[in-house]
Amino acid sequence: MKGVVLRGRGLAFTHPRAEEAAVRGVSLEIGPGRLLAVVGPNGAGKTTLLRLLSGALVPQAGEVSLDDRPLGELGDRERARAIAVVPQSEASPFPVTVREMVGMGRYARLGPWERAGSRDRAIVDRVLERCGVAWLAGREIGELSGGEGQRVRIARALAQEAPVLLLDEPTAGLDLRYRMELFHLLRELRADGLAVLVITHDLNLAARFADELLLLQEGVTRARGAPGEVLSREILEEVYEWPLRLVPHPGPGSDVGAPQTVPLRRDER
Amino acid sequence: MTGSPRRIALLGLAVLIAAAVSISFGASGLGPGDLWRTLAGDADPSTRTILLQLRLPRAVLAALVGGALGLSGCTFQALLRNPLAEPYVLGISGGAAVGAVGVMVTGLGALIPWMLPLGAFLGAVAAMALVLEVARRASPGGVDTRVLILSGVIAGAFFNAVILLLLTLADLESFRSAIFWLMGNLSRADWGSIGWLVALVTPAAVVVLSLARAFNLLSRGEEVAYYLGASVQRVKLTAYLAASLMVGAAVAVVGVIGFVGLILPHAVRLAWGNDHRLLLPASFMAGAAFLLLADTVARLVVAPAELPTGVVTAVFGVPFFVVLLMRGGRR
Repeated sequence: MKGVVLRGRGLAFTHPRAEEAAVRGVSLEIGPGRLLAVVGPNGAGKTTLLRLLSGALVPQAGEVSLDDRPLGELGDRERARAIAVVPQSEASPFPVTVREMVGMGRYARLGPWERAGSRDRAIVDRVLERCGVAWLAGREIGELSGGEGQRVRIARALAQEAPVLLLDEPTAGLDLRYRMELFHLLRELRADGLAVLVITHDLNLAARFADELLLLQEGVTRARGAPGEVLSREILEEVYEWPLRLVPHPGPGSDVGAPQTVPLRRDER
Repeated sequence: MTGSPRRIALLGLAVLIAAAVSISFGASGLGPGDLWRTLAGDADPSTRTILLQLRLPRAVLAALVGGALGLSGCTFQALLRNPLAEPYVLGISGGAAVGAVGVMVTGLGALIPWMLPLGAFLGAVAAMALVLEVARRASPGGVDTRVLILSGVIAGAFFNAVILLLLTLADLESFRSAIFWLMGNLSRADWGSIGWLVALVTPAAVVVLSLARAFNLLSRGEEVAYYLGASVQRVKLTAYLAASLMVGAAVAVVGVIGFVGLILPHAVRLAWGNDHRLLLPASFMAGAAFLLLADTVARLVVAPAELPTGVVTAVFGVPFFVVLLMRGGRR
């Protein structure tokens, strides 16, 4: 899998019948071995940005490109071989097993009449193992807990063998351990050379795991850069409209000093 | 995927057995022994004629129509992510019947034989577009299962009225032909219409089967399917047209027969899961076996008279539908 660079330049999008633009003039770039966290309040345009970057929405201004090739030039299969997406939620009235679900990730690598071969099965086994859900392979999706289901969906994205991985709030609804395991997994994938973009509301984990933060506010980039630069009290209080303090991570380990956000109670103002 | 060839073979056997049952039983009192003697080549000519000229084409027609309805039902369910979707319930069969009756009353059907299936196909497409659009507008923020079914049922009732109106106005009306279009039967079986059906259903079925893996993706939602590499709009358009072609072809030959596309795909799902690579061919074959048996029942219960086959499928299908609906409501 060779590394590629996914670039968005001056992206803008207004949803049909909406008055305000969901995203305006946002530019970003993710390349191999980088983990970018997109943060911001509800309704700031994070999911719209992800849909623009994945090609699911076509920007009304600006351009998304993959290694300097406009995304629109790629066919659907070709695009899915380059960009894998874990969307926020999915539901289906037709239950499938974990193995069938992850096997769907191989779609873009097979012709219509081609059957999954030993290489495809080996990849499915490997990503099931990697995401810690191999023991669930024969289970039906509906029987899984939130954390297990989320890891199965990430395994399916990894089965695409795409160099770019986009995740929309993968930690939503997960408990402390699953959240930590998930961010560790993302960091491992980044170490493998993937370009990873994750939307999250967890500023504290983003500060510790991401190389770069992009803070969105009402569809525009409020700040972009290393976590230490983006996470300042002035910016966050203004963006979230809530008083807060930043404290350095106490350690131990390499995260010592990473800015951790502590929102204040109303009576503490 | 392992075990699929054996399961398909099992269903193939079921179709053959159902066909043997269908050919063996009928109003004339000939039985399984006569089928055996005919196959062995030592039956008398009148027995041969009844079995090979009357019952065999009817069995082949039942298998083809049942298969086409089972496969198209499964297709609509995958595209709409709705286990209740089925050509009859969605009003698509009714639309096809209106198209076919329209061609008949204008006299075009008598002049140009392929106008009848064409009219039925166009009727099916128009009905589908209408029902989907009504359901979409009536449920903003994603088509609601029950709104979709309601739109289909309302459209179906309307089409029934249109059929009766057309038949009455055109003075073509014999009570029998109205019954035929409202509740189909297989009494018009002949090798000519079977040829038509094979020519139309085969390519449509091949197209649908080639989309099996895309259907697996689509049943997870259109956005997910897109991310995994499916060409969502192209797959949907192709599959809707192919399924409508199958429904239109079937309705043009046998009239409206409901619920086959509901019962059989659901039974296969319960037994073998939701992988469309197995589910689609299995729905075709299970539909074929089911309609062979349903038609045998239709010929036997009031022999020497005949029930419309659609009555038999509805007797099985309606309770089945009600159970599915109640289960969906609990979810």
